[in-house]
Amino acid sequence: MSGYGAVLAVGLILLAVAAAADLLAGVRRPAWRPVPYLIGTAGSACLLTAGAAALAGRSVALRSAGLLGTVAITTGASGTGGRGVTPAAGANGHVSLFADLAGLGADRLSGLFLVVAFAAAVAVSLAFASWAAGTGRAGDTAGPARRGLGAGYALALGSVAVVLTAQDAFTFLFGWESLTLAFWLLAGFRRHAPGRPLAALITLAFGRVSGACLLAGLVLLATRSGSLALADLAHVAPGPLRATAVVLLLAGFAVKVGMVPFQVWLPRGYAAAPGPARAIMAGVAVNVGFYGLWRTLALLGPPPAVVTDILLILASATAVLGIAHAAVQGSLQRVIAYSSVENTGLILAGFGVALIGAARGSHSLVAVGLLAATLQVIAHTAAKSLLFCSSAGIEAAAHSDDLDSLRGSARLAPWSGTGLAVGSLTLAGLPPTAGFVSEWFLLEALMQQFRVPGLGDRLVLAITGAAVALTAGFAGVTFVRLIGLVVLGRPLREGRASGADAGLGGRLCIAVLGVACLALAALAPLEIRLIGAGLAPVLPAGAVTAALRSPWVLQPVFAGFSILSPSWLWIVMPALLVVVGAGAWLLSGRRPLHVRRVPAWRSATAGVTGHDSYTAFGFANPTRRVLAAVLHTQAEVTRLEAEEPDIDGDSGRDAAPHVEYSSDVVEVVDEYLYRPFRMPFRMLVQFAQRLQSGRLGAYLAYMLVALLAVLAVVTGLH
Amino acid sequence: MWALRGLRHGVLTTRWPARPDEYAAATRGPATVFAPSADGADLARLCPVGAISPDPLRIDKGACILCGRCVAARPDVVGWSAGPAQAAITRTGLVVPAQETEQSLAAVSAGLRARTTALRRSVHLRHVDAGSDGSEEWEILALLNPVYDIHRLGLFFTASPRHADVLLVTGAGGHGMAGPLRETYDAMPHPKVVIAVGTDAVGGGIVSPSYATSGGVGDIVPVDVWLPGSPPSPFAILSALLLALGRLPDALPSPVSGEQR
Amino acid sequence: MTATAGLGSTSADNLTVSWERVAAEVAAGGRLADLFATARGDRILITAQVAARGGMMTIDVLLPPGQHSYPALTPLVRAAFWYEREIHDLFGIVPAGHPRLEPLVLPASGGELPRPGDPRQPAAIWPDPAALPLHVIGPGMFTIPHGPVRSGVVESIEYLVETPGEDIPHLNMRPFYKHRGIEKRFERMHPGDGVLLAERTEGIASVAHAIAYCQALEAIAGTDVPWPAALVRVLHAELERLACHLDVIVRLADGAGLAVATARFGWHKERVLRLTGQLCGSRFGRGVVVPGGVTFPPLLAPARILAAVSELDRQLSPDIRLLLGSASFLDRLRRTGPLPADRAAEHGALGPVGRASASTDDARVARAYGAYSSLGLTVSSRRDGDALARLEVRVDEIESTVHLLRQVADELGEAEPGQLRADCPAADGRALAWAEAPQGEVLYDVCINEGRITRCRSRSASFHNLVLMHEVFAGDILTDFPFIEASFGLSVAGVAG
Repeated sequence: MSGYGAVLAVGLILLAVAAAADLLAGVRRPAWRPVPYLIGTAGSACLLTAGAAALAGRSVALRSAGLLGTVAITTGASGTGGRGVTPAAGANGHVSLFADLAGLGADRLSGLFLVVAFAAAVAVSLAFASWAAGTGRAGDTAGPARRGLGAGYALALGSVAVVLTAQDAFTFLFGWESLTLAFWLLAGFRRHAPGRPLAALITLAFGRVSGACLLAGLVLLATRSGSLALADLAHVAPGPLRATAVVLLLAGFAVKVGMVPFQVWLPRGYAAAPGPARAIMAGVAVNVGFYGLWRTLALLGPPPAVVTDILLILASATAVLGIAHAAVQGSLQRVIAYSSVENTGLILAGFGVALIGAARGSHSLVAVGLLAATLQVIAHTAAKSLLFCSSAGIEAAAHSDDLDSLRGSARLAPWSGTGLAVGSLTLAGLPPTAGFVSEWFLLEALMQQFRVPGLGDRLVLAITGAAVALTAGFAGVTFVRLIGLVVLGRPLREGRASGADAGLGGRLCIAVLGVACLALAALAPLEIRLIGAGLAPVLPAGAVTAALRSPWVLQPVFAGFSILSPSWLWIVMPALLVVVGAGAWLLSGRRPLHVRRVPAWRSATAGVTGHDSYTAFGFANPTRRVLAAVLHTQAEVTRLEAEEPDIDGDSGRDAAPHVEYSSDVVEVVDEYLYRPFRMPFRMLVQFAQRLQSGRLGAYLAYMLVALLAVLAVVTGLH
Repeated sequence: MWALRGLRHGVLTTRWPARPDEYAAATRGPATVFAPSADGADLARLCPVGAISPDPLRIDKGACILCGRCVAARPDVVGWSAGPAQAAITRTGLVVPAQETEQSLAAVSAGLRARTTALRRSVHLRHVDAGSDGSEEWEILALLNPVYDIHRLGLFFTASPRHADVLLVTGAGGHGMAGPLRETYDAMPHPKVVIAVGTDAVGGGIVSPSYATSGGVGDIVPVDVWLPGSPPSPFAILSALLLALGRLPDALPSPVSGEQR
Repeated sequence: MTATAGLGSTSADNLTVSWERVAAEVAAGGRLADLFATARGDRILITAQVAARGGMMTIDVLLPPGQHSYPALTPLVRAAFWYEREIHDLFGIVPAGHPRLEPLVLPASGGELPRPGDPRQPAAIWPDPAALPLHVIGPGMFTIPHGPVRSGVVESIEYLVETPGEDIPHLNMRPFYKHRGIEKRFERMHPGDGVLLAERTEGIASVAHAIAYCQALEAIAGTDVPWPAALVRVLHAELERLACHLDVIVRLADGAGLAVATARFGWHKERVLRLTGQLCGSRFGRGVVVPGGVTFPPLLAPARILAAVSELDRQLSPDIRLLLGSASFLDRLRRTGPLPADRAAEHGALGPVGRASASTDDARVARAYGAYSSLGLTVSSRRDGDALARLEVRVDEIESTVHLLRQVADELGEAEPGQLRADCPAADGRALAWAEAPQGEVLYDVCINEGRITRCRSRSASFHNLVLMHEVFAGDILTDFPFIEASFGLSVAGVAG
């Protein structure tokens, strides 16, 4: 164990302590509620340090043999032969089944993702701590209702760390399944709320599906390579088996990140989790999926060309579908959750470019693709964590999730509102945020399609580029709705009941993440250097840093195509602001803040009751109509029956509404891919339920049958 | 091709006020007195709005609706005032023969000048209809056609009163529009100038007295320039605008009333 | 010029009978032309004018004293919808069974009411915003209040656009802001002065209003207008029609963003107004039409009038052809704001709005008056009822107007010079007269007693037609609104009264 391995171990231990603290101490005393999360903050900080060390090239390793050797199972001396796990003698003479397990360790790629994930985790944990300490009795929306949330949170972070630092397939899958379990616990935490049990179940189901795909893929490779170590999987000979395994692995990771057609669990699962747990799920834990994809590329290279093309098409579909739904949702959490789907599409588009480059052997293309995708991962992590932490704050302050009733709630919760604004600007890709840099890189990467010789690849890249541009446009519409109505809007009713804004931890989190969203743009060259270091297992040194044309000017790896300098933007834009401000100060007679406060000009109307300006629903209506093909919008105007008017005096005073408008969108993948299978699936489940007869004799018979089948298979394989 | 069609007739725009325009010079304004010493009792009975007071003979141009009866009856005593300069900066300045002295008008004019010095070359206009009959709006809109083209003088119409410098008010001050007119006036930032366009806005016209009008807009907003006419022709409106902005070429030191031969 | 005499005064029992008669006439192909009330002491006389069988039928019903409610006509004849609301506003009597009785021209909650026909002139009446009804809309919708101070140089009216964000399923209008109390102002006026007020009721249709009013007075006095005076009246009325139709084209072109078209048609309209000014001294033809004839002959010789009209036509026709060939412009108008033909017929839509929806009614032809009886005129009509059809009807009317102007100029050149104004002695009586304004038919029902006007009802075509704006927004979006409003071409001054 090296020095940094100890830091890694300390981090994991602290997370375990946090889980224990939550389970044992519970939520009785408000003063104890933040404790698990504060411990989790410390644990995340340790893991962040370990990751930084790994990124810098230090050795970070945590051997398992010393720890687990004492609990090994002895096996026979003959062992199982060439394939599979070979027993080795342990230090005490016991044969350890786990001796092959290399323990945990982090190379540069793991270090990069550790830094990204746990930097966000530190901030989110602080927000979690202050959210948990929020005032209210058990059952209040602010603060956990009963014990278990902290445990789920710690389990999630611990699983993320294990997955990112796993050195062999077993540990990897162990961490993966723990993460699925943690997701299920988080999503189903408030199981008495409507829709939550189903959301948790779907999250669990898709998590198991992804685990199953990964299991199949890794086992396929392990049988061929003869060992469970991940590094050894790279030596499997190319062939149909390796290709199948790569596809299975990609599928498993795609389910985790929410690529079409597996994205149906993302909005439900994310929206179902309480408070900043969403940030953990969507901002921190989703990175394991991307890490898996990067690691697959590093170890096993690209899949067959057909699969890459399909991946690109599905990525563009994901991006468009995600943003189309995000633009028309009426619930704040759902908007942000669907935006995760959109970002998945964008990141996978960049990854697809890298795959094409890897298939063609062009390091520059791989570099530009992976760089774009990684930049987007980083920007997304920061922005998504910020958005979900801010939305938790707004939800706690306004006690509502509906966009129409959240108008102007940033005035109730200024910090959360600012966080929401900065996060929205980042995800909308507006300069000078980090999202702008990453989307620029992504579009530049897709524009390199002319360097690819094959026509099919070029066509697919062009289509993806068009889809990404469309997505960027609608992202603007989506987030303008959020910023314009929720953050800057005029509250419909004054004097609503307000909870407090985010506490000290929440404000710290919002400040850190907000500054990160902006600083990552200003310090983009530094970020690119770090990414270059992190991508060392995939690319040769210098391939990524070729994106730095000069110390502060970026280019898309290929020279002479295009340049961008977000750092200079960060100097020029504030300078312009200062110049304009000075001009305003001079021209206004040195009294620039001498303003006249007046109500907005509404064409001198006598006034109407009810909504008299654009609602969130109405703002999304043009999008519903324009994207009706994607959303399958159905709109209906119904004329309600007019009541008998009251003749004397107050005629029309209590007039019934005479026209009603309703509009519905359909999730096409859900509707056309999954819904037809519900009936057969349900029948299958009912059949399987019959196996759970409850009779002891039946269960013993099942075990006997299973043992006989295993013996038969094992014998047959020899 | 509309682009080519637009070039077909060359330049249609008048050069007024830089160069004289014969249609402008022939603009008909309210009735005015040529022979102040004449007896006006029969004329006073003839006027349907009571704009003529007999002794001494005076005509309130701000109440004249240009029906023409007095001109047809006694063409030697009264006649049409000609030319575009019909507006005045005080309400009493519209009574002819002129009553006010140079000093009393100089103060009002100086106040107006002080407000409009800053915005002489680029002015935004906002129009409010406070119960007009629809014809004044046509004449104001005529300023945008290629014959008058107020854009060449740096005058622009704006939709929002927050961006407006000059408020053009037409109509007799209907009670329904009193509140919205006041709101519009309050929404405009300082400095601002109000021009009452048309006899209805100046004195109520023939529509007043009525249960639903205020007899002109003078009671609702403070008016700086009064322009009579039923409706005033576009040249008269243009002249009133330039008067308000202090840009009339022959307006030194301050224009008094629009009485011309 | 009155048609068949009224049924005379009847008691309220016969109100139902009268209403049924009105409904029967409307169902048989007629239309409700006007519905108004007059105060007679403490009783109220309700008058319905029905255009049927080539003429105008007047039906008077006198309500018993002290009765404040009467069975509404609207359930039988939908066209009475706004008329009964106006009666309620001005008199306070309630039409029982009216589907939506909200204030239209005068929202007042209690207090004194104008009651036209009552010799008392009320003190100032201020509209009460609290009397406006609660505006309840269904979920998913919100209301955009547009007005009364709207963008651009337009008349004041408020539109409440109920929208879910893009289309316009429903529209509410509040015209009460411009209410001036014209009908009450007419009372106690000398009939000779009344023509001045009639000209300023709807300022862009001054000549038509003046002609209708003067024809009513001439009918009461039994005067015949000399032939040259009738020709001069037609001359000014047609020039006014030309100016109004050109104004509509200017607004449509401006809405579509065709800058050159807007400028050129603005220039043409300016030339028409200047020609009118040269003929009579007033750019709007005011001061020409008086009871008995016209005040003075045109200030230009007929040959010069002919030359000016021909020159105007020579410049105008190519521009109109080019406009009707601009595909992008026509695209904005096609299927925008469609008024179904059956609805137009049921309501009795007037003017170009009605004629674009398959009506063929034109007061100059169907109930010809003045010199129109002797001049040839064809009525143009279309079936589609959308904004493009209304534009095409106006273009056809421009063509027939130019033709009429040439005819009039020729006739004026050939007519012997004679007196232009017949004697119209002050007589007591009551008469109904009409004229075809550019917006449609204008009705004047004038009642003179002891040499003073006791009741003058002026019903402009704008009041009758504007209510149809509720029904033309089938699938149109917010950006179509200016086109629909411009294609109706109505004047709010005539609506608000």
